[in-house]
Amino acid sequence: MRVRAVLGSILGSVTVLVIGWQAGAAAAHNAAELSTASSSGAATTPTGAATPGSTPTPAATSAATSTASPSPSAGSSSTGSSSTASRTIVGATEETPFGPMQAEIIVAGTRITNVKLLQETDMGGRSAEISNYAAPILRQEVLKAQSANVDTVGGATYSSQGYLASVQSAIDKAHL
Amino acid sequence: MTTTSRPQPWALVPTAPSSRRERFLRRMRAADLLTSLAVTSAAASVALYLAYGGAGDFITLGGFVTSIGIITGLVGTDLILVMLVLAARIPLIDRVFGHDRAMATHRALGKPAIYLILAHTVLLIVGYGISSHLDPVAETVSMWNLPDMPAAFIGLGFMIVVVVTSLVIVRRKFKYEFWYVVHLLSYVAVLTALPHQFSVGAMLAVGTGQRVYWIALYVLALGGIVVFRIAEPLVKSIQHDIRVTAVESIAPGVASIHMSGRKLKALGSSGGQYFIWRFWTGRTWWHSHPISLSAAPTDTRVRVTVRALGDGTTRLGRIPRGTRVSIEGPYGLFTDAGRTSPKLAIVAAGIGITPVRALLEDSRVAPGETTILLRGPEDENFLWDEMEKLAGARGAHFYTSVGPRARGAHSWLSARDVARNVSLRSVFPDFKNSDLYVCGPQAWTDAVIADAKSYGLPDHQIHAERFDW
Repeated sequence: MRVRAVLGSILGSVTVLVIGWQAGAAAAHNAAELSTASSSGAATTPTGAATPGSTPTPAATSAATSTASPSPSAGSSSTGSSSTASRTIVGATEETPFGPMQAEIIVAGTRITNVKLLQETDMGGRSAEISNYAAPILRQEVLKAQSANVDTVGGATYSSQGYLASVQSAIDKAHL
Repeated sequence: MTTTSRPQPWALVPTAPSSRRERFLRRMRAADLLTSLAVTSAAASVALYLAYGGAGDFITLGGFVTSIGIITGLVGTDLILVMLVLAARIPLIDRVFGHDRAMATHRALGKPAIYLILAHTVLLIVGYGISSHLDPVAETVSMWNLPDMPAAFIGLGFMIVVVVTSLVIVRRKFKYEFWYVVHLLSYVAVLTALPHQFSVGAMLAVGTGQRVYWIALYVLALGGIVVFRIAEPLVKSIQHDIRVTAVESIAPGVASIHMSGRKLKALGSSGGQYFIWRFWTGRTWWHSHPISLSAAPTDTRVRVTVRALGDGTTRLGRIPRGTRVSIEGPYGLFTDAGRTSPKLAIVAAGIGITPVRALLEDSRVAPGETTILLRGPEDENFLWDEMEKLAGARGAHFYTSVGPRARGAHSWLSARDVARNVSLRSVFPDFKNSDLYVCGPQAWTDAVIADAKSYGLPDHQIHAERFDW
């Protein structure tokens, strides 16, 4: 191989590796923030509207203020401790090739304010890692889209499908 | 020796040495750029993994082993795709490197690629095993049960078979056809390995640069093969409608095949290039042959000359008139376009006369620029008459070295000439400033090249076309 080709190869390779490493470090930083947001969101489930990750809409706020009038369909599985408008609906358990997947959604009025993972794929440490990595991303997407109709996370296709199917069943149950 | 300098009506304007040098430097720039790109692509596969979450996975032991396993898989896959690109007969690659060199690189990458893929398999089994506290055997069983993994394991098996049958020492034991059919498994291997890259791996994660990169590389590799190895040859074969018009025996075991066709000049072949021919008779259609043109084609006629070397080429001497012929090509840098230096030195033996004859016919040379040396036993000199006539027309020096080969390790000249102290230096004036074009039997060609190198002739001035698979 000629000297120029060798130097070009080294230069090109080092450049893309440095860019990749830096981008990865930045992404890891963001992911850390994302998972902090999701765990703090999980900690404050009863008042879903107060979750830091989600911005309360006028509709949700008004539902929360009108606590006097009981919400019509908040029967089944409402945690209803401080806010009757905030309901928790448990999704169906979805079987995936990696094991069962189950999620619940917190709904304030007609708005999904949080998603929690109840059961995650557990076949081997790797699949748990996969769902740990995919869950915060999916949660974010579901909250943003206000539906389970979002893209699956690459590298966690089956876990994602299970997660989203469970969320969808919860949405159906909540008649959103 | 003849030195006619009378201009011929079809003589081409000689190429100035300066523009030849310019063209060579341009080609080398392109070669260096493509080489750098190929190496960088392997680095890019790793960089993309790091960029999309991989950089954070090195903390635990299991995670560390797993990450290295993923990286070996990515680089291995990248190499396999580069191998496919090299084998796709993409015109740019032929013009810059020549297919023989591209294929030599393709072969050289085979073993590293399989080692990387094997390392990928082993490291991931161990890495996942550590994370889930399973021994490698239990982890293998658990992985086998993951979606798309059985297909990936089968793909690995195919890949091992392909590489093993391609090892030179193993390959010699098989017929070409057997090796070829086994080699087709590499496409199956690539395709069966794809699903697990989607579902278990994150190579194609939606919304990432990885997805863009890998899809682009797959399209380039598989698309290149579909376009340049299947579609283009098919279209050309139909368009030019080539048929055998005559098979002429010109020496024992040597036949010229004359063919007719439409708009053959549009094929854009240069003298010294070869096509891969397939003759559609019941006995020969399944075997294709790389054969050089033995004369520059006209718009309606083309000629190749073959020697019976194997079963397939023996049958070629008996194909009937009107046989339909399909082609792939033209390929090769054994042409005027490959020239780098002021003088042209041609050395050929046996059937190796065919490409050099077409090369000379198609070369832009000044009188006195070219010197030709033909080598053969007493009773074999087919096409030498045509070569001598051409040499006269081009103002070329014409020498022959006839008789049994000199005893001694590496001589490629006749015993008589060795006794007279004939050498590359004595035959070719200004040898160090010559482009040496060699074509003949492999061992003989190697001996000529070794001799040329011993005189200090640099690699880029040595041109040899290799037809071995």
